[in-house]
Amino acid sequence: MFGFRRWCLLALSAASLLCVDAKSSTGDSVLVVVDPNNQDKYSLFFDGLKDSGYKLTFRSPKAEKPVVIADDVPNFDHVILLAPEARNLGKDITPQSIVQLLSLNTNVIVTLPTKQSPLHSLAAEFGLILPPPGSPLISYFPQRDTPSSLIPIPVEDHSSPALTKHIEPVWFSGIPQALSTNPLLIPILRAPAESFASETLVTSGSADALVESAEKGGEGLWAGSALNAVTGFQATNGARIAFVGGAEVFSDELAQKEVAPYVKSGNADFSREVAAWTFQENLVLRIDGVEHHLAHENSTVAKEQYTNNDNVVFSAYVSKWDAKQGKWEPYSGLKDLQLEFTMLDPFIRTALPPVRATPGKYSTTFRAPDRHGVFKFIVDYKRKGWTSLQSSTTVPVVPPRHDGYPRFLSAAWPYYAGAISTSVAFLLFSTAWLAGEARDRSSRKAKGSKAE
Amino acid sequence: MIFSPVAVLLLAASAVQASVLTLQSPKFVVTDALGSQLRAEPFSLVHRTGTPVKLEAKDTLKITFQVVDKEDGKGVQPHQTFIRFFDPSTGEEGIQPIRVTGGGKAKFELNPSKPPLYLPPTSTEPLKVSLIIGTPNYDPITVRLFDLILPASQPAPTHPDEASFHVRPELHHTFRPDQKLPPKAVSLFFAGLTFAPWVVLIGLWSQVTPRLTHLFSPSILPFILSLVAFESLLLTYWVKLRLGEVLLYGAGLGLVTIFTGRQALSSISSLRKD
Repeated sequence: MFGFRRWCLLALSAASLLCVDAKSSTGDSVLVVVDPNNQDKYSLFFDGLKDSGYKLTFRSPKAEKPVVIADDVPNFDHVILLAPEARNLGKDITPQSIVQLLSLNTNVIVTLPTKQSPLHSLAAEFGLILPPPGSPLISYFPQRDTPSSLIPIPVEDHSSPALTKHIEPVWFSGIPQALSTNPLLIPILRAPAESFASETLVTSGSADALVESAEKGGEGLWAGSALNAVTGFQATNGARIAFVGGAEVFSDELAQKEVAPYVKSGNADFSREVAAWTFQENLVLRIDGVEHHLAHENSTVAKEQYTNNDNVVFSAYVSKWDAKQGKWEPYSGLKDLQLEFTMLDPFIRTALPPVRATPGKYSTTFRAPDRHGVFKFIVDYKRKGWTSLQSSTTVPVVPPRHDGYPRFLSAAWPYYAGAISTSVAFLLFSTAWLAGEARDRSSRKAKGSKAE
Repeated sequence: MIFSPVAVLLLAASAVQASVLTLQSPKFVVTDALGSQLRAEPFSLVHRTGTPVKLEAKDTLKITFQVVDKEDGKGVQPHQTFIRFFDPSTGEEGIQPIRVTGGGKAKFELNPSKPPLYLPPTSTEPLKVSLIIGTPNYDPITVRLFDLILPASQPAPTHPDEASFHVRPELHHTFRPDQKLPPKAVSLFFAGLTFAPWVVLIGLWSQVTPRLTHLFSPSILPFILSLVAFESLLLTYWVKLRLGEVLLYGAGLGLVTIFTGRQALSSISSLRKD
C-alpha cells in the first residue's frame, strides 16, 4: 500500500531517531537567533543539529524573549547568531553580553555582516581585524561562472585542529578576518592565496583604490592566505566562539551546490564540524585526578611532605569527551604532556608520558631538588583547539631529619672503633674490678702485723 | 524559424569563452646601489625563471610589464594585479598590489634597504614570488615567476604567550655533588691505629693475668650482666632506636640495675671489710 519512497523515508526517520550522532559535553539547549523568513534556508543545518540531540529554540532578531542571560545565569548552553543582516539583535545581545556569555561557559557561533555593525567591535575584542564595511572577500580563481564573491575554498586535511575529518571544498561568501598573534585564536578555514577583500562593484577606479589602500600602511590590504574565512577562539575557561565570515556557509543552497562535476560541496560537513568544535563535542579534555607518592614504597598513599632528594612519582589521569557515546573516556593520546615542579620558578620540567597498562594515566618519576621549600606540581597543557588542562598540587619539601642523613660512612670507621673500644674496655674493667680478688686483706694483715 | 539546439549551443559557447590576457615585454632588472645592472632578464608566463634572484642590502629589483588583451593587443587595467611573496617553510606571506596605469603599464620596485611592511621575514629558504592577475570577464592568471633571496631579517614577532602553546624545553636541577669520602684504605688504617692501646693492654695482661674469682657468684654476676645490657642498649640505640624508646628501656633497665648494683656492691664491701 505504501509507496517505496514512503517506506524509505520511514526507515530513514526511524534510523535517525535511533542513532544520536554526537553530543556536546556542556549541554543540549541551543538558542538560534535567525530571521523567521530565512529560517528555511538553513533547514539542513538545523536538522543535522536536531538529529544529534540538540534542542533548538528559534528567536527572531526583533523579539525580546527568550533572553540569553537572566540574573547572571545563562538560559541556554549554546547560542547561534545567524542574522547578519539585522541591524540590532535585541537588547540582551550586545558585545558585552556575548563576552559575559563566554565567561559563563556558553559557546557562541557568530556570523559577521558585511556592513558595519556592533559585531565588528566584538570581533575586534578577540583580536580579529576586519576589512572596511562593504568589502567582502572576492576571488577570480578558479575560473567559474558564479560571481566573484562566491568562492570555493579547498580544505586541506589537518589544516586546522578543529576539523577532524576530510571535507570537500566549501562554498564561502562573506568577509575575511585578519588575525592578531593571540595564540587563543584558531584558524578554521583559511582564505585562498589569490583572494582579497574589495567592493563587489568593479569600476575603473577600483584597481587604483586597492593600490592606495595598500600604500596607506597599517592594515592596508586584506589579501592572501593569511586571511581566514572562519576563525575560532578558545577562551581560557574552555568556552568557544566561532566567527564565520558570512551566514551563507550554513545555507541549504550552498550545501547542495556542486564544486566539481558530481562532487557535492563540503558545506554540510563543514557546518557540522564548526558546530561540533564550537559546542564542545570535539577536542574536549579534562583532568580527572592527580596523585603523587614516593617511588620506592609499595603503597600509593600520598605523603604529606617530601624530603630533599626523594624520588617522587607523579601521575595524572586525563579523559576526553567522546561525542558519539556522550561520556568521558580515559584518553592516552597526549604525546607531549609536561609536568613542572615549581617554587616561584620551575625547578624541574619533564615529560609526562602515558602509561601503557592503564588508559588515561600519565606518570613520571623524578628526583626532588635538594632545595627545601613549598613546591607545586603543575600540569599546564595548552594546545590550539584543545581545552586547556590546568592542575596545581602544593606539597612541602623539607630538609632531612637528624636521622635522615646517610649513616655508617666509611670515613667514620676510626670513630666507631674508638667508641666501641671504650665501651668494651669499660665492661672489661668493671668485670675485672667486680669479680676480681681483693688483695688488700693479705697486705693489710701483713701491714697490721708489722705495725704491731 | 526554430533555433536548432546546436546553433543555440554554439552561440552560448562563444559568449561564455572569456578573453585571455597576456603580458607584453615583461622583464625584471636588478641594479646595485651605484646603478649598474647586475641582472636583466625577461620573465615569462609559461615557464619559471630557473636561477633564484639574489638581492643584497643596497640592490634594487624592478619589474615592468604591460597587461594587454591577447586578441587585440589593447592595454587592460586589471582589477587585481598582485605580487605575492610566500615562504613555504614558515607559511609567511606578503602581498602587494602593483600600480597599473589605464593602458596596462605596470611597474614594481623593491629595495631591501627600505623594506616595505608586507615583506615576510626571511628564513633558510628563498621566497617564492608569484604574480596574480584577476579581473572580470577575463581568464585569471596566477603564475610563479622566480625565487627571491633577500638579506636576513628579524624573525616574525610572536605573542608572549605563544611559547606556552608548544612543548617547552626540559629543565633539570643540578644537584649538589655527592659527599666525597676518603678512600676506605685510609679509614681502615686509622681505625687500626685506634686499636693500638688494645695491643698494649693485651700485652700487659699476658704478663699480669687478673684473676676473676667471684665472676660467677650469684651476687655479682647479675650486676655485670645488667652493665652489659646497658652497653648493648646503647649500641642498639645507635643503630636503630629512637630517644623515646631508649629512655623507656633505659628506665626499666636502670631499675633492675639499681637492685643488682646494691646487691653486688654491698657484697663486695662486706667481702672487703673482713
